[in-house]
Order: sequence, then structure tokens, then C-alpha cells
Amino acid sequence: MISTINTLPKAAGRSLAGFFRSPRAVPYLLLLPGIVVILSVVLVPLLVSFWTSFTSYNLTRPETLYNFVGLRNYQRLMGSAEFWWAFGRTFLFITITLNLELLLGLGLALLVNRITWGQRTLRTIMMFPMMFSPILVGFQFKYIFNDAIGLANNALFDLGLIDQSIPWLVDGTLANISIIAAEIWMSTSVFAILLLAGLMALPKEPIEAAKVDGCNAWQVFRHITLPFLMPFVFIAMTIRSLDVARAYDMIRIMTNGGPAGRTELLWTLMTRTGYQNSQMGMANAMGYVSIILSIVFTFYFYRKLTAARAFMGGAQ
Amino acid sequence: MLGSFLCKALLASCAALTMIVSASAQEFDYGSFPGYTLRVKLVGGTQYEKLYTRIPEWEARTGAKVEIVSSKQLFDLDREVKQDIATGQITWCVGSNHTSFAPQYGGLYVDLKDYIPAEELAKYVPGTLASSEVEGRLVQLPRVTDVSNLYYRKDLYEDSARQEAYRAKFGAELAPPKTYDELKQQIVFFADPPNLFGTAFTGKDEGMSGRFMEILRANGGDLFDNNWNPTFNSPEGVAALQWFVDIYRAGAVPAGTVNYTFDEIGQAMAAGQLAIDLDWPGFAGFYSDPASSKIADHLGFALSPVGSAGVRGGWSGSHSFSVTEACDNKKAAASFAVFLTDDESELMEAKAGNLPTRSATYDEVIKYFNENGKTALAEMFVIWEASLADARTPPLIPQWIEVSNVLWPQLQAAILGEKTPQEALDQAAAEARTILEDAGVL
Repeated sequence: MISTINTLPKAAGRSLAGFFRSPRAVPYLLLLPGIVVILSVVLVPLLVSFWTSFTSYNLTRPETLYNFVGLRNYQRLMGSAEFWWAFGRTFLFITITLNLELLLGLGLALLVNRITWGQRTLRTIMMFPMMFSPILVGFQFKYIFNDAIGLANNALFDLGLIDQSIPWLVDGTLANISIIAAEIWMSTSVFAILLLAGLMALPKEPIEAAKVDGCNAWQVFRHITLPFLMPFVFIAMTIRSLDVARAYDMIRIMTNGGPAGRTELLWTLMTRTGYQNSQMGMANAMGYVSIILSIVFTFYFYRKLTAARAFMGGAQ
Repeated sequence: MLGSFLCKALLASCAALTMIVSASAQEFDYGSFPGYTLRVKLVGGTQYEKLYTRIPEWEARTGAKVEIVSSKQLFDLDREVKQDIATGQITWCVGSNHTSFAPQYGGLYVDLKDYIPAEELAKYVPGTLASSEVEGRLVQLPRVTDVSNLYYRKDLYEDSARQEAYRAKFGAELAPPKTYDELKQQIVFFADPPNLFGTAFTGKDEGMSGRFMEILRANGGDLFDNNWNPTFNSPEGVAALQWFVDIYRAGAVPAGTVNYTFDEIGQAMAAGQLAIDLDWPGFAGFYSDPASSKIADHLGFALSPVGSAGVRGGWSGSHSFSVTEACDNKKAAASFAVFLTDDESELMEAKAGNLPTRSATYDEVIKYFNENGKTALAEMFVIWEASLADARTPPLIPQWIEVSNVLWPQLQAAILGEKTPQEALDQAAAEARTILEDAGVL
């Protein structure tokens, strides 16, 4: 029995060495550098941050990294109305902005696709908002929506539509609408560019055939163009749902989650907790709870993407 | 005759000797560090970077080189320093700091009293230097200091129709306010939105907490008691918060003031949209410059008002330089910090309208402004210097910013009418207590 146990590691070692000498190991060996890089830049930080969410880790007191507090951070979050309001508001923010960006981006792409002269110039111009840093966009829209000197109020005054300033960034609903408007201005072109790529790759034959068969423009769009575009739509949605947090810088400048928490999103709350308050343990716990959002959105869009691709496969 | 001559000669030589000795005692030895490269992280931005044009002078004097490894806005620099602490990557020697931030950094910075002679430190404004200490350690050398006083539009105060209306309504002469009650009365009196507001205040972040703290202290209250129990939900605190609620509800301040930072208030005042502004000295140059300000010709200055306790709140803070414990040449680092806050540096800062941290600079800069026809700035320095005696920083504990972050959203909630001042302050006090209990302070 003892000799069997002793020989097991040797046998395992021999078989492992044999595997690495065999041609079957080639793909794994070739992938090894990539795996190592991914493990070091993704997995290790993930594990460390996950660990810190069970500690009272304070950024300016590194020794607290080992101060295990169990589920205290998560328990506090479960009972924190502030956190759950921010969670709900973030969910709403992502849902509204992504859908509106999709609609506007699709409209833009369809319009630009019809242009035969100057399309390249227009495509470049369309990308301008993407080139602005979110901080700059934040300052720009903070100025536009300033209640005293802002462009929006001044224009409305001049047109005689209002006789009292509208507190755009103070009223709860208006402040959230203002932030959504800024985000849509900044990111609609991402959708437009991706969908335009889809439209340009669209085969002409099915459309011509449909027209010959008597379909009107709406029917062509509804039954040919849109199904063809759906994989592009879901890819764009997935990408945007993951990078929508870029809006943090913009919101920080415009309202920083205020006033009185009316525009608080998970990103402003987490950054204030982690960096200003130095409570990185708690901020990471917030991050892990909020990952639920990312998983839900990504899972939903991937399922839709697969379905859309299967539909396209069937159609072909 | 000869005796008298000898006596005079002896006295003269003694006086000369005393002058030489005192001159040499006053002259700081910047040292010699040939071949050494000093790595520094400095606050960036137009108003701060002019001082750095003096760095080549220090390099020439000491033989060392300065490498600016980071230059960022103060809040970003704070974030970067915290990341450096977390990762243990303190590979730099001198860092820009601020009295509000310094307590958070624990043992990151050295006690400068060990590296700078007492006679050199005696040249700094005593109160400002005392505010630069954390737990008895001088962790920073103050560069410029801030304390708030009143800017007002003289044309509004001198307008006879307004004077008459004020007299008829309140039975008093229209003059810059001496108390917060009077200030509130005048803010509401002057307001004529949307063209003119009584004032505006920083309604978020530490700016909101600081303004509240200022009135709270002027009313005789404070944020904490001696044992760090939160006490800002006291009657003095409720009265301080009610002051903001009253001017906001009266529509005497822009509705958006709850999102304003100092920059927006400065712009609004310079555009002639505010009657009064309780603000930092750094705005004096901007407001008195006809190229940037519509109120340059009728800019007035007055001491900040007193509260119900008859004292000034005097919210104050200083930008500063600190030297890291991990620095491999602390003498060079301390030399650099002293150089950037020496008489010449302070005069440079003061000429730009900033409040210097060396006592001798005040007379010098007031003389300079008077001689150069900038009488408004000279007037400002006289008033701001007088208010330094009442200047007080926020509590110098590591948890201040965190406490501030639970305080200002609650202040906003009361100002916007979501809660009563008492409810808002009770909630903030409960959250502040949790923070201090977690930190082991309570």
C-alpha cells in the first residue's frame, strides 16, 4: 500500500512530462504565455480584491489588508438603502441609455448609409463625441445645464418658453435626464459606427428581391435589414454595457452623485468609498455585488446574440 | 572724549556683530547635493506651477537635479499617493500636500522639525505652522494658506435707492455685514433672480462641509467634542444648517449652488451675478482684474461675519510640501521644501494674490501692491491678514474626509427640503460615529 502511494506522484510526474513532450501539448504550450498574462493581470487582482472585500482594508493603512471581518461588509451593504438606491438607479441608467443610444445610433447609421457623397467625412464627424474625454464632456454639459448661466436655460429664456430658471442638475428627475442626455451625446456614435459597418456588409440581393416581390421600405427594414443587423446590435450592446462605466468621470464632474444622492450611481458611490474614504474593502464588496449587473446584462446580450446568429444561419 | 569715542565704537562693533550673527542665523543653509536627483510629486495647475519656475535656482544652488515624477490636480494626487501607500511604492521624496489631507497619510511623511532649524520655522506664521502639525509632528511646510472673508459689490451698497429701502425695511444702514444674521438678511435683500443673487455657496464635497463647519463654530458649536463624539447635530449645528436652508428657500442663491464648486462661484461673482461672496483670497486677483471681471471697479472687502457666539468660524487650510520617510536624502528634500516656501517664493505666491505663509511677506507684498497701483489687492491683504488669528482647520484626524463625505449629502438633503435640519444632522452624526468607531477613535 505504502509503495503504491509512493509511486503515484512519480507516475503522475512521468505522465505529465510525457504529455508535454507529445504533439497534443503544442496548443497548450503555445497558449501558455497568454494564459500566464491573463492569470497575472486578471485573475490575481480579482482574487486579491475578492479577499479584501472580507477585510476592513483601508488604502492608507496597508496592514489592514489582513484584518479579516468575515461578511461584515456584505451585511452592511444588504442593509444600506443608499447602496440599493444606487444599484437600482444604475440599472435604470444603463437600460435607458443603451436603448436610446441604440435607437438613435440605428437612425444615424441608416441615414448615413443612404448618403453617396461625403459619407467618409460624415463618418469622421460622427466619431467626434467619442474622441472627447468623459471629463471634458462632463464640464461641457455642466455648463449647458447650469441653472444661472447655462445654454439650455438661456435658450429657453430667449425663446420666451420659461420665465424662471430650470434647476436642471438639482431636481431629481431632471438631473438624471441631464446625465443621460450627456451620456447619449457621448456614446451614440459607438452604436452608429458599429451598425453602419453592419449595414455596409449587408448583401444587396435579398433587398432587391424583396422590392421586386412588392415589399415596401418598412417591410424591407423589418424583415431583412433588421434581422441581418441584430448580431451587430447585440455585439454593440454587449460592448457598451461593459464600458458604460466610462460615464463615471462625466457624472463626477456634473453632479458627483448629488445633490442629496439624487444622481448617485454605483460608480460614484464606489469611488468615493474606495478612494476618498480609503475604505477599499467596502468598495470592493460593493464591486462584487454590482458585478451581478454586468453578469445579467452580458448573459442576456450573449443569449440574444447567439439567437440572432442562429436565426441568420437558418435564414441563409 | 576718547572714552566716549571708544564706548561708541564698542557699541557700534557690538551692533555690527549682532547683525552679522543674526543675519547668518536667518540664512538657511540649502546644502550641497551634487549628482543627486530629487524625485517629487507636485500639485499641477496654472495657479500652482508658476512657483516651479524657481526650481532651476535650487538646482544651481545645491548641484542636485529635480525630477517631477507626477504633476496632477490635488484630488488626483491624493488618490495617487494613497495608491502608492497601498502598493508600498514610495519612490519619491517631496510631495505636495494639504492640511485637510495630511492626517490621512499616517506615517508617510517625516517630522520636519528634525530637519529644519527652529529659527527658520519661526519665520512662518505661527498659527499656520501649528495647523500643519498632525499629532505634534510637523508633517508639512505650508506654502499658501486659505481663509475666507467677504467680497462685496460696492456699487450695490452705495446705491441710494437700495440704501433707503434697506433703512426702511430693517431700520439700519446698509453696510457690509458684521454677523451671519445680517449677512443672511442682506443676501435675501439683494437677490433679484435671475440677474442678481445675494450669494452662492459651495454646495457639495468638502466645500459644503467646510462652510457648514464655519458657521457652526461661529455659533459656538463644533464638529466633535474632546473625545471625538460627533456634536454637530447640536442646536448650534441646526442653526448653522438652517442658515443655508433659509437663503436657499428664499431663492436668494442660484438653485444649482448645491452642485457648485469654487470655480463656478468665482465665475458668477466676476460676472456680476452675486452681491456678496464669502471666499478664499485667491479670487482677489481675478475679481480686481478688469480683463476678467465686471466688478473690478467696485470690489469691496470685509472681514467674515461672526456667529451667535460672537466669534468667527475661520475655516482655513494650507497647501503645503511634505518629505517622505522613505526618501533616501531627506536633507535635500527638506532643503527643497524650504526653498519653495522661502521669502522669495512666498513673495511670488503673494504677488499672484495668494495668502503667504511667512510673516515678513505681508508687509512686503502690501507695499508692492500699493507701489504698483494695485490698491485693491493691498486692501485685501490687510483684511485677510487680520482674519488669520481666527483661522482654524477642519479636525486634523485621518477620518475627516470620510466624515465630510457622510455630512455633505445630508446637508444637501436638508437644504433641498427632503429632511429637517435636525433629521439630516442626526443621520450624519450616526454615520460619523460608525466611521470613528470602526477606526477605533471612539
